[in-house]
Amino acid sequence: MGILARLAGLRNTLFRKTALDRELDDEIGAAEKILVDRHLAGGMSPQAARRAAAAALGGPGGILRVKEDVREGRIGASLDSLLLDLRYAWRALWTTPGLTAVMIVTLALGIGANAAIFSVVRAMLLEPLPYRDADRLVFVWLNQAGIGYPRGPLSGPDLRNLREGSTTCAEFGAIWATGTVALSGQGDPEQLRSAFVTSNFFQVLGAESALGRTFRSEDSAPGAPPTILLGWDLFERRFGADPSIVGRQILVNDQLTTVVGVMPRTFRLLLPPDSSVPDRLQVWQPFWSDLERGPRGNLFLRVIGRMRPGVTAAQAGADVDAIANRITRELGTTRAFTTVGLQADDVRDIRGPLLALFVGVGILLLIACVNVASLLVARAASRARETALRLALGASRGRLLRQSLVEGLVLTLLGAAAGVLTGYVGLRALLALAPESLSRIGTSRIDLTVFAFTLVISIVWGVLFSLAPATELFRTGANASLQPRSRSIATPVRYRTRATLVVVQIALSVVLLIGAGLLVRAFAEVQRVDIGFRTDRHLTFRVALPESRYGSTEAILAASGELRRRLASLPGVTAAGAISHLPYDDLPNWGLTYALEGTPRPPADGGAAKADTRAITTGLLETLGVQLVEGRFFTDDESPKNPVVIVDEMLARRLWPGRSALGQRFLLGQASPDRRVSVVGIVRHLRLRSLVEDLTPQIFIPYRIWQRSPMAYVVRADRDPAALGADVRAAVAAFDPRLPIYDVRPMETYVESARSIRRFTTLLAAAFAACALALTCIGVYGVLAYAVAVRRHEFGVRRALGADTAQVMRDVLSEGARFAVAGSVAGLAGAAIAARLLQSQLYAVHPRDPMTYGVSLALILCGAALACWIPAHRATAISPMDALRTE
Amino acid sequence: MAKRPTEIMKGTLDLLVLKTLALEPRHGVGIADRIEQTTRGTFQVSPGSLFPVLHRLEQEGFIAGEWSVTPEGRRARYYRMTAAGQRQLTAEKKHWARIALAIGQILAE
Repeated sequence: MGILARLAGLRNTLFRKTALDRELDDEIGAAEKILVDRHLAGGMSPQAARRAAAAALGGPGGILRVKEDVREGRIGASLDSLLLDLRYAWRALWTTPGLTAVMIVTLALGIGANAAIFSVVRAMLLEPLPYRDADRLVFVWLNQAGIGYPRGPLSGPDLRNLREGSTTCAEFGAIWATGTVALSGQGDPEQLRSAFVTSNFFQVLGAESALGRTFRSEDSAPGAPPTILLGWDLFERRFGADPSIVGRQILVNDQLTTVVGVMPRTFRLLLPPDSSVPDRLQVWQPFWSDLERGPRGNLFLRVIGRMRPGVTAAQAGADVDAIANRITRELGTTRAFTTVGLQADDVRDIRGPLLALFVGVGILLLIACVNVASLLVARAASRARETALRLALGASRGRLLRQSLVEGLVLTLLGAAAGVLTGYVGLRALLALAPESLSRIGTSRIDLTVFAFTLVISIVWGVLFSLAPATELFRTGANASLQPRSRSIATPVRYRTRATLVVVQIALSVVLLIGAGLLVRAFAEVQRVDIGFRTDRHLTFRVALPESRYGSTEAILAASGELRRRLASLPGVTAAGAISHLPYDDLPNWGLTYALEGTPRPPADGGAAKADTRAITTGLLETLGVQLVEGRFFTDDESPKNPVVIVDEMLARRLWPGRSALGQRFLLGQASPDRRVSVVGIVRHLRLRSLVEDLTPQIFIPYRIWQRSPMAYVVRADRDPAALGADVRAAVAAFDPRLPIYDVRPMETYVESARSIRRFTTLLAAAFAACALALTCIGVYGVLAYAVAVRRHEFGVRRALGADTAQVMRDVLSEGARFAVAGSVAGLAGAAIAARLLQSQLYAVHPRDPMTYGVSLALILCGAALACWIPAHRATAISPMDALRTE
Repeated sequence: MAKRPTEIMKGTLDLLVLKTLALEPRHGVGIADRIEQTTRGTFQVSPGSLFPVLHRLEQEGFIAGEWSVTPEGRRARYYRMTAAGQRQLTAEKKHWARIALAIGQILAE
């Protein structure tokens, strides 16, 4: 037959179906009349004639079969019956709108959460960094684990050794984020976040400039004129995005500096979070020419390397280790480097939590699907008689199975559509909640890949859970289920599938609840950490007092003192002070070596014990509410002639165990001549760098002895500190209108930033666990409600035989309790294993924390009890008469 | 042994229907009557089982159906043979002859 005829047939089958069917009815009707005529002519009674005619056509059911056979013989009949299945599935879903809504919402939740988290995982872990051949970038750390610095910066000579000795890396570049430089000239003066980079830094990184160029080796040559590279935001805001700025000179730190180029709007400097290189730098300057000759103990360089093609990170690591060994052997300074892939190192902190969350949403989806499977099984069971009828009328099991699959797929695709929508909204919420330090998360988006991912998991699950009710199908005999009493006989068997599903569900929820519970506990512990100082009503800002303006150290000290007094006298301000390095800031920390007098001089390679060192003005520790253990705070009378310091308890214990540190002297730093300082005060250890780790001892030096610029001012208010911003700006402007003031923000934001990733992951985990709990309760409810419905007759009979409501209730509840106990036991075992994955996130909480396990169990048992109670209550309402009536 | 109706071999019903219609157009009941008459009752075809065959043959273009009136004045759907049906009948006849020959040879051994 020609293709055209086939197409015409297909068109008729699909679109002229009603007409064709009507004609078929007509034809069979006509045949019937002819036969009746013939029998009447043969002398039959009209009734007998009609019966005989029908028999010749196959009897009443037979005529239906004949019609069905004709239809199945048509071209495209299988496609047509698929459409029929679709229509049937659609109608079946709408006959039980409540059930369908529950299933779609359940799926939307599971699939949506997966789509959102998958898009984040992809953006953060799977996509390469936005640099050329980013997989060839490595980060080199100086490993001084012995003194508490396993991930520290390198020195200039170290960089030279790497450049000269490496065979695996073509180039090494380095960066040092110093703080700020002053931009003056036209417009208001301002402080720009800046960094020094080696002239090859951007080539090594694999990033191009948007305008002009990045640095070249001549920019770092001896006597080279000063140059600067701008970030896009600054270029736009300060220079009106005028491209002619490239090649012109601007005033940086009162020095004429040539702009060589502008980095693109999208450029981000994505270095590991603990490398003290903020990703929102505004300008870059080239290092000085003799960088590589500097003292080996001057550790400040963050070094990246670009591996040659075909080299693995392990090979590069071995190569760099060999260089470290050579330095140790030949130069007598101990060196150990750690070389890690930049991509992996960037996400070091978030990788674990993110994967844990991914597993978490996976479990959530599993629970959601188990729920839907369980609800579908229930519906299949309630349709058992219909199924039996269809089998009896000659429907093939394959046909019924296909219909069950079609129904499952229709349901999942609806769920997936709702899920993508949920995922989109969820991702929006997630991005809004995401901490600033997770800057890469901003690139997460729901696109075709995520959509494909969603579609694949939906289809896989759709097929799997349509098979669950299909097991029901094959258990249904054509005869058995048509008999009215058969349901109570069949019950125990078909009930088992659903009971197993519910136990699995409870177990999975227990795992999620315990995991989230542990994270919540750990977060609560972190919130409770006593950081040693107060931040609640403190406003901070930075301001630089440039020597070029004030002329002498004396003038700067006087200006600083005056500014502090003016701030302290503002209405609403109760105290003010300034510090060189704010806690939890992303700028580099300042570490100095310390040693007792008379001990061997500390080695010059930076391997000696170090303390976190900060310069503070008078009043700073008082403003922060730091507790003085012994001695006194600084006064305005400190002078370089009599250098004094305040140390924390940790340092006091290390240097003078068992003795008072007050009045003791020690050597601070390696600058020659050795600086001998005496201790005038001992304070409690402050958590200045990490909320959860006690890293190093602390030393505070009076600003009057050691001036740093810029300083961060801290004022304590007697009301909401944010409201103080305008007053503070006005006070600084009144003091000197040319002073740039920036980073005005509540102190709490710095502490909050240290907690933000943990808060974020904890919040997500808790949300997933809550969803899991809710879904599981729905699941338990569904199964028990079904069990009660099936045993309605039995309960009625038992009531009739004298069972009281308490007995019936106990019966149903004990059924639910069996699930809950079995699921909880399995869940506890699973959680004990899963909790080990969370270990790194569990600050001050044991992975088998009994309280978390207890509370989680209590939650799931309460949820299950509630879910059981409703059907149990319904069971008690069954009266003996009900049972009789249903017969 | 009493002569009883024989079940029609699978696939041969097409051939019988085509052959019947080669003489003149008939409606479904007429075709059943004719097959029964010609085979003297060896093959009994219920009109019901003819419809799927007729519709398939029509779909394939071997026969064409149209509404007409019986001599008794009843409406009925008459089927007539098309040119394609004629060719198909020739092919099926040859095919059948080969089968009959083969079976005959087996039985003659």
